[in-house]
Amino acid sequence: MIAKNRGRALLVAAMVLVAPALGWGSGFALFEVGGRSGGMAGVMTAVGDDLSTLFWNPAGMAFQTDDGIQLMFGVTLIQPEQDFVGMSPYPGTGYRASQVEQTFFPPHIFLGIPVNDRLELSFAFYTPFGLGTGWEDDFRGNYIAKKTDLMVFDLGVSMAYKISENFAFGIGVDYMVAQIELARDIGLINPYDQRLTSVAEASLKGDGINSAWAWNAGILWKMGSGFSFGASYRSEFTVNGGGKATFTQIPTGYADFDGLLNTFFPFDEKVPIEATISFPNFWNVGLAWQNEKWTVSGQYGVMGWSAYETLPIIFPENPEFSSVREENWDDAAQWRVGVEFRASQHWDLRVGYLEDETPQPAEGMSPLLADSDREAYMGGLSYHTDRFRFDIAYEQVNLLERSTDGLNEEGFEGTYEGKSPLLHMSITLKF
Amino acid sequence: MKKTVFAISLVALLAVAPAMAQVDLSNYVALGDSMTAGLASASMMDWYQDRSYPAVLALQAGVSDFEQPYISEPGIGPIFELVSLLQDGELRPVIAPVGLVPGLPTNAEYPGIYNNLGIPTATLYDMIFQTGDINNLLQGNFDTVFFDIVLRNGINTALEQAIGLQPTFMTIWIGSNDVLGAALAGTPIDGITMTPVEFFGGLYGNAVGALATNTTADIVLINVPYVTEIPFTTSVDPFVDIPDIGRWYLMADTGPLTDDDFVTLGGGALIAQGYGLPGGPPLPDNLNLFTGEPGVVLRAAEVDILNAQVDGYNAAIEATASAFGYPVFDVNAFFAGLSSGAYVPTYGGTTLSIQFLLGGIFSYDGIHPQHIGYALLADELIQFINAEYGSEIPRVDMAEVLFEGDWQSPGVSPTKAQQTIMSAEAFQRLYELFPPKLDQAPRIRRPGAIRPEYSGRDNRIKPATRP
Repeated sequence: MIAKNRGRALLVAAMVLVAPALGWGSGFALFEVGGRSGGMAGVMTAVGDDLSTLFWNPAGMAFQTDDGIQLMFGVTLIQPEQDFVGMSPYPGTGYRASQVEQTFFPPHIFLGIPVNDRLELSFAFYTPFGLGTGWEDDFRGNYIAKKTDLMVFDLGVSMAYKISENFAFGIGVDYMVAQIELARDIGLINPYDQRLTSVAEASLKGDGINSAWAWNAGILWKMGSGFSFGASYRSEFTVNGGGKATFTQIPTGYADFDGLLNTFFPFDEKVPIEATISFPNFWNVGLAWQNEKWTVSGQYGVMGWSAYETLPIIFPENPEFSSVREENWDDAAQWRVGVEFRASQHWDLRVGYLEDETPQPAEGMSPLLADSDREAYMGGLSYHTDRFRFDIAYEQVNLLERSTDGLNEEGFEGTYEGKSPLLHMSITLKF
Repeated sequence: MKKTVFAISLVALLAVAPAMAQVDLSNYVALGDSMTAGLASASMMDWYQDRSYPAVLALQAGVSDFEQPYISEPGIGPIFELVSLLQDGELRPVIAPVGLVPGLPTNAEYPGIYNNLGIPTATLYDMIFQTGDINNLLQGNFDTVFFDIVLRNGINTALEQAIGLQPTFMTIWIGSNDVLGAALAGTPIDGITMTPVEFFGGLYGNAVGALATNTTADIVLINVPYVTEIPFTTSVDPFVDIPDIGRWYLMADTGPLTDDDFVTLGGGALIAQGYGLPGGPPLPDNLNLFTGEPGVVLRAAEVDILNAQVDGYNAAIEATASAFGYPVFDVNAFFAGLSSGAYVPTYGGTTLSIQFLLGGIFSYDGIHPQHIGYALLADELIQFINAEYGSEIPRVDMAEVLFEGDWQSPGVSPTKAQQTIMSAEAFQRLYELFPPKLDQAPRIRRPGAIRPEYSGRDNRIKPATRP
């Protein structure tokens, strides 16, 4: 009898359950594919002389046929930190929160097999996208995101062919597998005490294998006098995925309010969902100069985040929860410089610097992903023999302070600032 | 030498510029009705008065001595509370007043004029002409209770007292009660249940003119919201779904309702008693002018009439604002945006709406906001003032408001009642607070709407000596 539009508030609350949940960004893009490239800002597009070039420029493998079969494996330790200072109207001026301490270990494994002195076949496994965010228990942004885990794995195979002694190209295909899990609370105004109250915890988890195909290509030109030029392209891809949403009721202490919510939310059921997520293309151009002792390289790249326009989340069995969120991200540029010094027969030293532009509009910054322009400094060293190589590098990434400027669509206003130390480690074996 | 003069001039300019851009709320006076008084859930009560939009605005502006006519719990009249939400597993809320004994004024001995001169039930006419005497209330006469509590001296009207306080800043939000009674009675009759637009315009111009002439205050005018887009009129469907029969459009004494018609919250209790249903008596559509019994149905045409009346008032407010150079805060657009969904207040991923009980903005009477709604309103007003005057009044910390809970938190066990939706008792209490002012119809037509002695500064009351 009562209430035109009854349940509308509940519907709105439920719809935003997943809408902001799958934000991506340069903050989600990972470039951690080797201890050596990590020590010189990843400037491998025009260098291409170790297995990490499988990410930066597959053509580089064509110049490694003389190295025999190579296996490179390693991991990068990432400990992201992010602090938030709020402003009114929500969560309030002076409010402070920090992400919980977490450590991530995205791995990388590369295998290069020379077919002949011009052709190399390669296999790769690494994580081009990944992130985990988690906030303190009493976090006031808990109705947007409490915890998020995202990983996209790339299983790639590629070939590189040396057309001449100075010019090579490479092409490859990538099988992308995405995994995501996130949790947040749902808050409603309790009609009894007029207080914002957590009424449910919602979690979303991808199930099965949510995957997509992508491709990559590159060229590498040894121009002479130590100079080389490289260019590469990694295609965009779209994951059409499925998963399950779960709503767990949080008792409010008011039995019939809980009862009302129970008639609306499918508590303790696994509700199927479908989502379509577009990932960006990524192209790079680089110029390098090398001699016996030194390598100096610069690189410019653009991630095509403008492909990320909308995020449709469909509840096939509960269409009232379905939504399409406008994202409207922008393409984001980055530039990198790196220097390597071959100090002795067995030891190399390197340093690098990069700047990375954010693709995310201020409107979309949220506890789930609050991206900003980044700068990073790094340095590393290697020990190597004829058949063995160990690379290690330390990188300091700073997410520059950025305010939501009162524009945040989820009403969570404030300033984010973050940093992340990274430790890159790789071992390369040659057979 | 020229350089020195130039430098001094520049320094002087720089020093003056910020001051010009600021607005001075040190002596802020709010004129208005129940919305200004902070009335919530059909009650004027200290807890909500402290959270009225003028009080919040003053607090945000750093004003520590914003005086109000406080009333102790459970307020006047006793405040409504939500008794239960579900009956027989269905959403059928019960709302009832807390007890029968009203609260008492606790700040009546304040020696000055209150900064908050919002008077529940006041029309524009009342704001200009009605006085109130606290002795009247002390003698047990509740007929003009809110005027007696706010105005007290039996001599000066709200407008006169505002002038007497010589404010630096004012807000004026008046006019809702010039049309609200028609909505509560389900019967818009121009000149009977509603103040005629032409008359409203004349009064409004005169009132603002008096303030412009007799004060130096910066004044923000606030227009009138549609009374048809509040939960009181939008929460009850004009039909019921009956097993074996299907959708049944409720029957009123003027015929069956349609999708375009509205049943007020006052109709909820009647429907629960069988009114409007098959075999039951019809719902009363219109006000009974002989018995005073209200109607509970607003037909689509009546909604149009009510909205047109508000449009007329707002045009008069705009014209007055233009004449005197005052800004108008378009609260009608604010509520219309909430109603249409064009504006969805979102805080930390949580949304507010005007949905009754669950939306978080309106109180249990379905007409007035509660503390969250008033804070939202104050925040909007602050943004308007900052934009208009170049001031930097801090925005409201909505997190504090959202997590605070209401006046009973942490919980006081609600009493039980059997009525459905808004109990008949609750509706009667509400209707008594906001009746159509039938007795004002001849009064507002009397010639000389502005009293002749009220032509300039009113010196009958000394400006208060603020503590």
